[in-house]
Amino acid sequence: MEEFHYRIPWRATSAHPGHHRSRTEGGGFEFHGHASLATGADPRHIDVRASLSDPFGEYQVRRFHQTSIVPVQVIADLSASMVLGHKPELLARVTAAIAWSAYRTGDPFGFVGIADGDTPAIHWPLRRHRSAALTLPRRLSEQPFQGEGLAQSLSLNAWLDRRRSLVFLLSDFHFPLSRLQTLLQRLQPHDVVPLVLWLSQEWRPPARWGWLPLHDPETGARRTTWFHPGTGSALRLAFERRRRQLTELCRRYGRRPFFVVDSFRPEALSRYFLESCA
Amino acid sequence: MTDLGLSHPLWLLAWPLTLALLRYPGRKGAPYPAMAWLPVDPLSRKIDRLRRWLAWAFLSCLILALAGPYLKEQKVARLGTGAHIVLTIDRSSSMNEDFSGYLSGNAKDSKSAAARKLLLRFVEQRRQDLFAMVAFSTAPVHILPLTQDRVAVRAAVEAIDRRGRGVTNIAPGLLMALEEFRDRPVTGARVILLVSDGGTHIDQDTQERIRQRFRDVGARLYWIYLRNPRSISVLHPPKRNLSETTTPEYFLHRYFQTLGVPYRVFEADDPESLAAAIDTVDRLENRPLRYFETIPRRDLSAYLYGLGLILGLPLLLWNALEIRQWFAPKR
Repeated sequence: MEEFHYRIPWRATSAHPGHHRSRTEGGGFEFHGHASLATGADPRHIDVRASLSDPFGEYQVRRFHQTSIVPVQVIADLSASMVLGHKPELLARVTAAIAWSAYRTGDPFGFVGIADGDTPAIHWPLRRHRSAALTLPRRLSEQPFQGEGLAQSLSLNAWLDRRRSLVFLLSDFHFPLSRLQTLLQRLQPHDVVPLVLWLSQEWRPPARWGWLPLHDPETGARRTTWFHPGTGSALRLAFERRRRQLTELCRRYGRRPFFVVDSFRPEALSRYFLESCA
Repeated sequence: MTDLGLSHPLWLLAWPLTLALLRYPGRKGAPYPAMAWLPVDPLSRKIDRLRRWLAWAFLSCLILALAGPYLKEQKVARLGTGAHIVLTIDRSSSMNEDFSGYLSGNAKDSKSAAARKLLLRFVEQRRQDLFAMVAFSTAPVHILPLTQDRVAVRAAVEAIDRRGRGVTNIAPGLLMALEEFRDRPVTGARVILLVSDGGTHIDQDTQERIRQRFRDVGARLYWIYLRNPRSISVLHPPKRNLSETTTPEYFLHRYFQTLGVPYRVFEADDPESLAAAIDTVDRLENRPLRYFETIPRRDLSAYLYGLGLILGLPLLLWNALEIRQWFAPKR
């Protein structure tokens, strides 16, 4: 089971004790300030020095921030475009790693899989899933990948927990940037980590020369193109440009995207979180 | 346009299916989600459209070819100049003999083979004449109407050295040959070229009928007599032993002389007799004859198949250059 470490640059609000820095007062180690014993603070934390120097002679008690849980939610794009090559397996692997890491960190985990239609194809509400990392990949392998997924406009917030949470957005992001922008705007209350699943094959045509009839699995649009070495390099440039555009847009809404190309390395994701919360 | 026909028109019912090809072009191709980022290539699009039309034209060609179009049989007006010659050929079993009077196993030596050689040369040299053909043995067989079609005439002449059977029965053959001229305007000299190796007795009634018919149509009679050495020469008959039963040729010759139409006999053992026969025909006065020749219907589907091949080759090339798959299929 793969595991990575994630951190958040903001304070959790939950009262449940957990692993992340929190806004809630409680039994932690992070000094928050002093309070009068009369306010009902915990007498075990009476600060003698502060009490002596208090001009009003009141007993001063140290207050602390506790560490809390952060809800971890995954929005996965189960659209038809995700069936390419071993992308479904890659998606299941990343999802399992997130679920397992959330469990190991002690955070509740939720999963929303969007295929076609108004409602999510798979919806696991937020809870402490001990076995999610095991059962979710199996459930995903039974799921037919179809429809437009995240490309259709859908009120995602109805299916997410209202509390601010760490949201992993798993998709190939093969939809217009304007659509991604509205998606990110709607997810503004949350801390969104865009995970871009790509295969390097996507910009490497199978042959240097030849006619290649293609169809878009989501829109059904067809096109036959004469492939030559120039087409391959143009495609590679297009993907590089797309990468820059995605990075720029997602950074404006919080975090830069994490690219999973061909294979998933959990330690790379750990480093991503380390860099983002330095 | 009305000269065209279809032998299996039901195939045309399949043609509307080819229209679907323009609308729904076959294989979907490899799935690829990032189509929008492919470089725009208008030339590819044009060629792809061309390919669809090509495939449509190819299938249309095949369906049309299956329907079997043909050019209907046609009557072509021809203008014949020259004599009208009815080859009246003896196909009796005696024609299988060679000139020494025996049945030799070698068909090349038979009289009919000699007649064939003779007539081929005759037909070859009389290019502008119209020929008809009647063969007779016990009963006459009408083989070819008057025509200037050299191929048909040659073929008919080339076939006369096949094995003959039956007896020599000249009268019905002559009557059938004379029938050829009936109800036709007299536009050329009429010749009946009788090729025979012997004569038969013709009874009095028939003799009269033939004589009458010859006068009606005004035909000339030329007899190419294939003589073997043991039989008599009609030109130089012996002075004795002439009777209807032993030398019918001589009496036939005598009868022909009484027909009242120009008559000549040529003996085929004499090599100059053919030249003489040709010369004689040459000197006849002829006027052009307008007549109709029937051309058989012509199958046109081969052309369509050929066109289909030409249209299909670029499609084959396309198919060879097509990339089938991009991403490995899902297990």
